[in-house]
Amino acid sequence: MTATADRPTTTIFRRPSSTTGLWSWITTVDHKRIGIMYGYAAFTFFIIGGIEALLLRIQLTQANAEFLTAGAYNALFTMHGTTMIFLFVMPTSAALMNYMLPLLIGARDVAFPRLNALSWWIFFFGGIFLYSTFIFGTSAAPVGVDGLGGIDGNLAPGGGPGSFNFLADSPDAGWFGYQPNAGPLYSPGTAMDYWALGLQIIGLASLVSAVNFLVTVLNMRAKGMRLLRMPVFAWMTTITSFLLLFSLPIIAVALFMVTFDRQFGSLFFAATNGGDPILWQHLFWLFGHPEVYILILPAMGIVSEILPTFSRKPLFGYSAVVFAGAAIAFLGFGVWAHHMFSSGITPVAQAAFGLATMTIAIPTGIKIFNWLGTMWMGRIRLNAPMLFAIGFVAMFTIGGLSGVTHAVVPSDWQQTDTYYIVAHFHYVIFGGSVFGLFGGLYYWFPKLTGKVMSDRLGKVHFWLMLLGFNLTFGPMHWLGLQGMVRRTWKYAPETGLEPWNVAVTVGAFIIALSILVFMINWFTSRRRGQESGLDPWDARTVEWMTPNPTPEYNFAVPPVVTSLDHFWHLKYDEDVEGRAVRKDDADEIVASIEHEQLHPASPIHLPNPSYFPFFFALGLPLVFYGVIYHLTLWGKALILVGAVISLAAVIGWAIEPLEEPHLQSKGHEGAGDAEEALTDG
Amino acid sequence: MAELAHEAGLEHAHPEHESTGVENRKLGMWLFLSSEFLFFGALISNYLLYSNRGGFSGVYPAEVYDIPFTSVSSFVLLMSSLTMVLAHNAQSREDHNGTRTWLFATAALGSVFLGGQVFEFTEFIVGHDMTLGTNPAASAFYVLTGFHGTHVAIGVIMLLSLWGISRRRGGLSDKHGLNLELVGLYWHFVDIIWIVIFTVVYLLSVPPA
Amino acid sequence: MSSPEHIHHPSPAQYWKIAVVLAVLTAVEVAMFYINRAYDLGPLNTLLLVILATLKFVIVVGWYMHLRFEKSTLSRFFSGGFILAAALYTIVLTALGVIAIRGG
Repeated sequence: MTATADRPTTTIFRRPSSTTGLWSWITTVDHKRIGIMYGYAAFTFFIIGGIEALLLRIQLTQANAEFLTAGAYNALFTMHGTTMIFLFVMPTSAALMNYMLPLLIGARDVAFPRLNALSWWIFFFGGIFLYSTFIFGTSAAPVGVDGLGGIDGNLAPGGGPGSFNFLADSPDAGWFGYQPNAGPLYSPGTAMDYWALGLQIIGLASLVSAVNFLVTVLNMRAKGMRLLRMPVFAWMTTITSFLLLFSLPIIAVALFMVTFDRQFGSLFFAATNGGDPILWQHLFWLFGHPEVYILILPAMGIVSEILPTFSRKPLFGYSAVVFAGAAIAFLGFGVWAHHMFSSGITPVAQAAFGLATMTIAIPTGIKIFNWLGTMWMGRIRLNAPMLFAIGFVAMFTIGGLSGVTHAVVPSDWQQTDTYYIVAHFHYVIFGGSVFGLFGGLYYWFPKLTGKVMSDRLGKVHFWLMLLGFNLTFGPMHWLGLQGMVRRTWKYAPETGLEPWNVAVTVGAFIIALSILVFMINWFTSRRRGQESGLDPWDARTVEWMTPNPTPEYNFAVPPVVTSLDHFWHLKYDEDVEGRAVRKDDADEIVASIEHEQLHPASPIHLPNPSYFPFFFALGLPLVFYGVIYHLTLWGKALILVGAVISLAAVIGWAIEPLEEPHLQSKGHEGAGDAEEALTDG
Repeated sequence: MAELAHEAGLEHAHPEHESTGVENRKLGMWLFLSSEFLFFGALISNYLLYSNRGGFSGVYPAEVYDIPFTSVSSFVLLMSSLTMVLAHNAQSREDHNGTRTWLFATAALGSVFLGGQVFEFTEFIVGHDMTLGTNPAASAFYVLTGFHGTHVAIGVIMLLSLWGISRRRGGLSDKHGLNLELVGLYWHFVDIIWIVIFTVVYLLSVPPA
Repeated sequence: MSSPEHIHHPSPAQYWKIAVVLAVLTAVEVAMFYINRAYDLGPLNTLLLVILATLKFVIVVGWYMHLRFEKSTLSRFFSGGFILAAALYTIVLTALGVIAIRGG
């Protein structure tokens, strides 16, 4: 219900004030809503990326299959990788970081709420822009290039059913866009422009988020929450934000250079004119390697929250885990050329980067041993979040071990461009990040909804996914070492690779089934799940010191933190041997916390909703559509229109105050929905 | 006492917060500027790579530079940092007329610099036949200096916006005063990037033998 | 007034003096360019120009951007970004052969 009261207009348009309905979501600056939107969008892309993977797997089940044409195959593996990395894992991490970070540090919101909304809308429009390539993109065969004989990968040599040829007009030069293959000469058409500009837009969203999260952590922690008392997930968010801050500008430059090559005739990567293809690889991987730590660190943070809670023990070696995370990030900037061992860099460079890569195993090992030490002698509860966390530790270790084998340079020469590499990175990204993120979703589901997910269905999801995952990616180690080549649409029957490929495909469909189980669990639990109460997991950290679902204002009274695992120490004492003993009045303490947080003593100011982030974000893809078609009149017009919209939004934003002084949020009467009418006075 | 989420203008070190003591927006701007080193570093490295690589057809940028001209425009940009800091100083003394004068002067000097860039590029394209697509060294030069110029242009827009707000409201509030300081940081950063570019790209650049 | 903490701000007169220093350094740089054209100082030219540019850089950052008088957090982030960029791109340029290492 909206209360519209008279307010002076400080902008051309009246300040939005609704708290329900579509418009309230479009103008929200609440980190929790933004996190929810990120989550649903990311999951949608997960499904799409999964379908892309299943199509790839169907093609590869049989030797010499022609279910897909080569062109369609290339497009699918390109979009599968691009989607999963940039449109699924990163935004799911963003969803959890957005929702949880302020709660983990005892704050009411992030430092820049409107900028937060801007990040989300930029990502949203960027994802749509990127995917619109399937509708608008074109991809033709290189014409007049010596030695290629006019091969068009879009044509199925023998025809064949279901060639999915419409896919072939999409980006098809790999998620890593190696040059000059992805340049204007060898990838004519617009598909790779959608790829480059789409990533450019999405990268901007993450850069803005990084600045936001860093200022939030540095300046908005609750009283007493010194940096080394922050929950580990808050630390990993911080470190990830530093990685984003310093790596994204590099890929931004590289993508601009590609766009200039493709659209404006520059010669950065034009090999026939002296451009250097290796330059692209350096710039891409300078970003690309920190990127993989961006993918894994948030999940490591989640696991570091779940394991102590469900082992009923503190995290073993908290400081070591934090510093190891920082070390991984720091070292992660120095190893990028291990993606280039077979590209012709000098032996000295190969040795240096190989050695540097091995050193990352040290802080990683520290974390793994500390996680094991956390569980050791703990009173473990195997709820769904805990299963995913343990699964993370196991699967990530396997992926890490294969990673160490890549660090041995001559070994990598054998492995590179084979399915062995595919196995490695899926074990760390899927077995690692994705398992960890699912754990986080199960763990923090009560905060969003006030309910717990069905633990039974959660276990079904976990075991099916674990089985399917290992059946899919385990055999790939062997397939790769037997010489099955990556990014190649078919293999000959004489290679003997078919039987295990059949197993891999079966595994992939089992994964799909497990995701279906998760979706059923999510939607039925939202509606009919068991009420969680304030503290369903008997947790340790301050995000659990506020009712579920989270009130709009997060904390009526911000916690005053006196130690690491502050919440735990409110509920538990230690006996002479250091074991935790629940206080007699722990339940009363928890109940009083819930009561206090549900009933603020006086009205709480919250940042007001705003139109401007949405409109600023809307202008960007318009400009980039215009860039792609800039040779036409309407392309030029689009650039102008998009720029004007964004500029107008910036001006409106600059003039608009963050808070209208007399719009306030009333306190909650009950732990109902997270929406609350804004009223006067 | 009612808990306030965040002030729209000033950020004090709330006793309720653990904080660095630096206002949110200022900290944010410094973090952003730190990342810009990676951005311009890539562009400068790219220029160093190609400007030193022999064998390209067409002219190399170092063959067509007009050092006296560029020296003057570099001086202009450098002096705009002075006017910028004088604008900030005037704002801190609530001398609103002075603030506006110095803001306008900074924007004017920045525009003169941009005009010089446009003139210089035109000379290169028309007079020396060095375009974006002449060779990779030329591509690197134009994209590096072009992005720098774009940053300057965005800075000019921000300066004129502050000037306009100050005129309309008879002076900048505390909130906008902080924004002036932030625009100043951005402006100086763009200036120091040019300090590097002027030396590395113009003064030290020699076409390969 | 934007920040309550730091009290010290250079005065306008000091800002003008700094501007004069910057102008002089620029003039010296340009003079170096022409001297080198005439007498080819080799690596000495590079060294001197880099020193001059560094001086200008540090002066603008320290006094105009006020970093000398700010909390050390800001210097750490700013120099961190700079050092990271310098290190990474030095390695890239070495790998690409622009910077030659002996015996490499």
